[in-house]
Amino acid sequence: MRAALVVAALFLALAAWPLLVGDVFYQRVGALVLLAAISASAWNLIGGYAGQVSVGHAVYFGAGAYASLMVYNQLGWPPIAGAPLGIAVSLLLATVTGLPTFRLRGHYFSMATIATTELVRLLVTNWELLGAAVGLMGPAVPRSVADLQFNDPRIYYWIFLGVLALLLGLTWAMQRGRMGYYLRAINGSDRAARSLGVPVRRFKLYALLLSATFTSLAGTLYGVMVGFADPDSVLGVLVSVKMVIIAALGGAGTLFGPLIGAVILVPLEEATNAAFGGSGTGITYVVYGAVILLIARFRPGGLAELGHALARRVRRAP
Amino acid sequence: MLLEARGIVKSFGAFRAVDGADLAVAEGDIIGLIGPNGAGKSTFFNVLAGDTAATAGTITFDGRDITRATPEEHAQLGIARSFQVPVTFEDMSVAENVLVGAFLRHPGRAAAEAATAEVLEFTGLAPLADGRARSLGTPGRKRLEIARALATEPRLLLLDEALAGLTPVEVRAAIELVRRVHARGITLVIVEHIMEVILTLAHRAVVFHQGRVIADGTPRAVVADPAVVSAYLGRSMSRRAAPR
Repeated sequence: MRAALVVAALFLALAAWPLLVGDVFYQRVGALVLLAAISASAWNLIGGYAGQVSVGHAVYFGAGAYASLMVYNQLGWPPIAGAPLGIAVSLLLATVTGLPTFRLRGHYFSMATIATTELVRLLVTNWELLGAAVGLMGPAVPRSVADLQFNDPRIYYWIFLGVLALLLGLTWAMQRGRMGYYLRAINGSDRAARSLGVPVRRFKLYALLLSATFTSLAGTLYGVMVGFADPDSVLGVLVSVKMVIIAALGGAGTLFGPLIGAVILVPLEEATNAAFGGSGTGITYVVYGAVILLIARFRPGGLAELGHALARRVRRAP
Repeated sequence: MLLEARGIVKSFGAFRAVDGADLAVAEGDIIGLIGPNGAGKSTFFNVLAGDTAATAGTITFDGRDITRATPEEHAQLGIARSFQVPVTFEDMSVAENVLVGAFLRHPGRAAAEAATAEVLEFTGLAPLADGRARSLGTPGRKRLEIARALATEPRLLLLDEALAGLTPVEVRAAIELVRRVHARGITLVIVEHIMEVILTLAHRAVVFHQGRVIADGTPRAVVADPAVVSAYLGRSMSRRAAPR
């Protein structure tokens, strides 16, 4: 009961935040934090809970982003209408690539996900219909409200917060039920899980399908907000790595870990980009590398675990 | 027969780890599988558990052919197992480890938790329920594996050296637990090195040597069997053991 109140208060505070901060730059960073939290939380379902570390989730993000711009360019629909198409393509990709790669364990699975996503990126780079290397643009000026083109970033912020709340609600329900325990068991040991009657490959697929759905939705929201997608910005390996790092930083396999990670990493990244201007993209790699080193060295469980450890210490103290 | 394995062969390349082994287990039995290191008993055990597919031979459980069944199908049919080196879910609590097993028969959380509580009580793990599995020592892990297996409500439990590496006091506690598991109406097949365990627990002992069954009978009769003695000690050894 008390936990529910704390969570409700947290979301109210998050919803009120852009009203308290007047600067449009910070409001925009806030929206980007929530968008990153959506994709990292979606990644967390398969990568965190089930422990299948995908480093190729950009393929679903890219499918969502391209779908939004495709329905605009080909059919003249508002970009958000691309969401179902992006999800359908992502579910298909997840099933086709997931079933054979789930046989692989550990690093081999991760490498297979990198390889398939890079393959898709190269295909798209050479595919005229999808704009090839140049990419696709969204509507330059909004034709109606349905185009969701706003100068005020707070509107995106609240839309993203709603989607994040839905995703975290679903994750919470899953975590408490059989599926949550089955995924954590699979993470612990495939072999032991199977011996207890856990249909391992089926549950890995469920987790991947749910994960791909929300990653694709995040991609569509990105396409709607930014109005542009090219192979590097939505299908690049950095897009996949970012989801992994954000989740790992906050705490993979925990409900709020990815949100915590996004709150820390995204502003850090925006600050380095602002400080170094256009030449700052290389700095992003440096920041990611540093974060990986720090997590691996000091807190393999992420910041959520650190929080739990501190809470235990506080409780133990008189 | 509850479980019947006929002519089981398991080859790794040219090497036949199991070379035509048979085993029949009746409901209510406690069978001990013994044999020197490398005799093929663990490989045979893993074939029974569905972990590796047999190269040849058939296995039936309760009249159903399970030769090609997956480990999860084994669990569904009522065959549970422990591992030689315990494989617990380290980051989950003791109770959560058991809960994973309980979900097999009770998909709803409340019912699964009730079943878990009963198993924790039965195995004596209730006081440790909230601790992480990684905090347990070897005896605790072996006990947890048995608890987790019991939570799947099996008819047959396969124990792979569930008592190896324990101190004599711990062995006695574990034997006591295995007896109580049997009293629940669960049939047991035990792979074991410790002779004391086989002699006190097993109704029947099956001896493996070089991938074949060389003796099958009561534990006392089997240990007196000259073929078994020479398999354990080696023929030359028994000759050398004679006074000079």
